[in-house]
Amino acid sequence: MTWRKWLPPAITLVLLIAGWQIYTSVSGIDKWLLPSPADIWDAAVDQRDALTTHTLATTELTLYGLAAGVAAGLLIAIVLHLVPILRAAVYPLLVISQNVPIIALAPLLVIWLGFGIAPKIVVIVLVCFFPVAVATLDGLGRSDALIADYLLMSGASRRQLFTKLQWPNALPTMFSGLKIAATYSVFGAIISEWLGSDKGIGRYMIVQKSAFRADRMFVAIAIVVVLALVIFGVVALLERLLVKGRRHA
Amino acid sequence: MPETLRVAGLEHHFGDLHVLKNLDISVESGEFVSIVGPSGSGKSTLFHLIGGLLTPSGGTIEINGVDAIGRRGLIGYMPQQPALMPWRTIESNVILAREIAGKRDKALAREWLARVGLDGFARSYPHQLSGGMQQRVAFLRALISDQELLCLDEPFSALDAMTRSEMHRWLLDIWEANRRSVLFVTHNIEEALLLSDTVYAFSHRPATVLEKITVPFDRPRRADVVDDPDFVKLRRRLTDLLTGSPS
Repeated sequence: MTWRKWLPPAITLVLLIAGWQIYTSVSGIDKWLLPSPADIWDAAVDQRDALTTHTLATTELTLYGLAAGVAAGLLIAIVLHLVPILRAAVYPLLVISQNVPIIALAPLLVIWLGFGIAPKIVVIVLVCFFPVAVATLDGLGRSDALIADYLLMSGASRRQLFTKLQWPNALPTMFSGLKIAATYSVFGAIISEWLGSDKGIGRYMIVQKSAFRADRMFVAIAIVVVLALVIFGVVALLERLLVKGRRHA
Repeated sequence: MPETLRVAGLEHHFGDLHVLKNLDISVESGEFVSIVGPSGSGKSTLFHLIGGLLTPSGGTIEINGVDAIGRRGLIGYMPQQPALMPWRTIESNVILAREIAGKRDKALAREWLARVGLDGFARSYPHQLSGGMQQRVAFLRALISDQELLCLDEPFSALDAMTRSEMHRWLLDIWEANRRSVLFVTHNIEEALLLSDTVYAFSHRPATVLEKITVPFDRPRRADVVDDPDFVKLRRRLTDLLTGSPS
């Protein structure tokens, strides 16, 4: 049963929060340095209207960015798979692109693309496309040679080889990449909101940091974590629905 | 009788490696033909040539009287391993060859699954079936491919002896009821004699036909034909031929 799986981490979490609450009460540490879980909860309730607006903005941005990132990743994977010479030429550059720190690149994107949604989407795409592209490319290239022979001898075209064998074969690995991208996407959205934004959880964090409102910072962190978990969960659900038969990544 | 497959003077090299040498084989309509030969004698290469995956260095291949060199999609093929798609149900796997030809027909798949004792598995996935069951599915996939010529490449070599003889019975029953032209490759002499009308014995590399044997037993084949003195004699002769002992 699933509760057996969920119970141990849930108990650990409860114990951690309890220990935290006790520590802040006993030590009398300043609230602006380390707020207690109860303080954080109060802050969340107090700020719920503002938080709802910001969370919705961030969710929207994340989903747009994730969709664009996944589309870019799939497109790159498929094109590189179908054109081997392009793969040899471009693949190393893809890896290099992941070594450029997004934090350093982000201000440049703002200079190039302005303060609108465009540079924010680009930041999320940059963190999301890579795991999807690499995982999908890997899956496309690893289809069963025996099944490929069978299909060819049965008269399959190159297109049928792709749609009937290579693509379905890549689905499980693609979903592995998609899960990584899903968790990265929220983090990408927060960074992009730091760039300059009038709404979103990232913007909220910046404002509360300036005001030394550690309690509200913690609320924002909790929201980011929950949002990432929810998106991950949706992707995992999609995987269960779409990947049929034996999981054979 | 019209010939479904006619291979004449077939030659094939992989670089310096001479694989097939002046090969002549024919399969008549509705005939079950086996090729026995030592491992590595180029039997799978022969199938890749007939299936159009490779182009021979020389010679001719005709299927139903038409030049088939380099042409794919003319045979129903059953490989050594089942090679089923793990993400497709059994009925979707069985229909694959027809689907490629644009004639997807699930009702036909279900009808055949029932006819060969695999009903109840239509919605299962390959990993839920035993090795023998998977091979039955692979055979059925070749059988309903709508091609006159079926090429079976050592289909039972990975199965244990018990499952293997069960499969022989199963295959004979289906084939005898639906006469198709079969080219069957194996390194099991008894299997070849039990199933076939004609057996070709292949030599070591470069493979050439050592002998063409016409199997004299009636159809439908009885299970105890293997104990028939003539069967034992033929088996002895083929064994000597293939192991190089004097007869």
